[in-house]
Amino acid sequence: MSVPATTERPSTAPDAHIVVRDLSKKFGDFVAVDHLSFEVSPGRITGFLGPNGAGKTTTLRMLLGLVHPTDGTGLIGGRTYAELADPLGTVGAALEATNFHPGRSGRDHLRVLAATHQIPDSRVDSLLELVGIPAAARKKAGGYSMGMRQRLGLAAALLGDPHVLILDEPSNGLDPEGIRWLRGFLRHLATEGKTILISSHLLSEVEQTVDDVVIIANGQLVRHGTIDELHGDPATLVRTGETPTLLAALREAGLEAGDEPAQGPGAVRVGTGDLARVGDIALRAGVPVHELRALRTDLERLYFQLTESPENRNRNLAETSGGTN
Amino acid sequence: MTGLVRSELRKYFTTRMWWGMALSMFLVGALFAAFTGAFTLYGELAAGPGDSMVRLGDVLPDLTKARMIYAGGIQFAYMLALVIGVLSMGQEFRHKTVSGTFLAGPRRHRVVGAKVIALIVVITVNAVAFLAGSVLGGGILLATADAAVFPQPADLLQTFALMLLILVVWGLIGLGLGVLLTNQVAALFIGIALTLIVEPLIAFGLTFVDGGEAIAKFFPSQAATATLSLFSGVDPAIAEIMGASGEQLTWWGGALTLLAYALVMTLIGLWLTRRRDIA
Repeated sequence: MSVPATTERPSTAPDAHIVVRDLSKKFGDFVAVDHLSFEVSPGRITGFLGPNGAGKTTTLRMLLGLVHPTDGTGLIGGRTYAELADPLGTVGAALEATNFHPGRSGRDHLRVLAATHQIPDSRVDSLLELVGIPAAARKKAGGYSMGMRQRLGLAAALLGDPHVLILDEPSNGLDPEGIRWLRGFLRHLATEGKTILISSHLLSEVEQTVDDVVIIANGQLVRHGTIDELHGDPATLVRTGETPTLLAALREAGLEAGDEPAQGPGAVRVGTGDLARVGDIALRAGVPVHELRALRTDLERLYFQLTESPENRNRNLAETSGGTN
Repeated sequence: MTGLVRSELRKYFTTRMWWGMALSMFLVGALFAAFTGAFTLYGELAAGPGDSMVRLGDVLPDLTKARMIYAGGIQFAYMLALVIGVLSMGQEFRHKTVSGTFLAGPRRHRVVGAKVIALIVVITVNAVAFLAGSVLGGGILLATADAAVFPQPADLLQTFALMLLILVVWGLIGLGLGVLLTNQVAALFIGIALTLIVEPLIAFGLTFVDGGEAIAKFFPSQAATATLSLFSGVDPAIAEIMGASGEQLTWWGGALTLLAYALVMTLIGLWLTRRRDIA
């Protein structure tokens, strides 16, 4: 499986930098995006996360020139989207899965878009091959399943062989098999050095795919960093019936160790990711080990803490804020 | 820009609507020309001295007969042109393809420009279908009545060209309407209701007002009729019975009036398209 790229671009192309600066959008009294600033590094996959109604789609649409910001700017390679000389060749975007005329075939849908940038039909066909719907694409889009719509949307985003991809909830409505396919597909695109900004309301959906995360709630930034930073330092959980002896042995070996009552009785948290070393220390101390595993931060819990804390709770959930999620 | 125009043309010609519409245009042309032909050639009107009956086929000049017959379906046809124009933008909102359109053409004024050019091409195709139907349906009747099928070809060609202009103009009015009202059903309903019901009612009301006819002649339907000089050389009394309003613009006055409508609606469309949020 390979994208028939026209040219090989270095992953650190300077024009792949996305900068969102002080971006705001009000719809009447409703503040959808509130002075949001963040940057997306070239050649990395960034997860753009937040609960429904947090302002993700509005932010992406402002970045793409579809929605006019009330304040601030969104720049791609130092330019606004409308200033791009070759829009489809610079940025590929997949927004909603419903953006097709039901009476037009998927292939013709792509050909309509391709015509704007003098992209040949052969490119359309190879992309349909790539996303796995070459035969179905000749039928009318009205009969497509959600998975096929998402695949067609991705093909549309890749038409101009862009080095920046902006995907809005691409796994929405996909079945488990579709989600698995999408993950593999995104990883494949990432290996080509593309800069990918992917929005989701579920951290778990993109956790294995993204390098960086931007988390927003109520249109405001709540966390920005690498996924590793979010995970925190590596740690090990070891369970035993003789906690004090084990704690002493671990501390003697120069490790940070402490009770971890949240994980149940007899649980000890050790400040290392080296499971073998912890096991060896326990053996030498003559302590029985009942459980030994890597202790990862529960990202999903952390995510909910970040986005659901009282000051970030969605004020507008009661209102119908269509199109602002 | 040529890319955007090609894209718009592909949009139109990749759904079934294109041949459905061309077929409708052809049939509308044929049927209305035939009906108008039957009326114009064989119909009688109580317009003679002392309300005696006058056979229309005898009193109408040849050119006027042919014009009336070939343009018999023009009102229905420009409704269809209005529909094509409304759908050009309305479909984009209805099926949310407008996001993709503006992603591929972020400088929106160029997209509107491409839509205008594509619309002119599309409506020309439909106008050809309509004229082919009209010439077939009307020509058969003219021939069977032993009347000239193409009297004064140069003048008739001018009429055909003006019919094309009328269709294009209504298409552009539709385009503006489609931008104005993003709900295409509402846009279609209001567009057709305005031209078929509201406009004639207001025009009728204006006949009771002093100087009202001076205003009514600038209404789009009246201007369209004037453009085709359908009643030239016809006895005013007969013309009035046949539905001509008292005061009419010259053909070029009608054409300019229609172009002004098209320009205003296109500019409204352009302005709205540029500032609208696509959420």
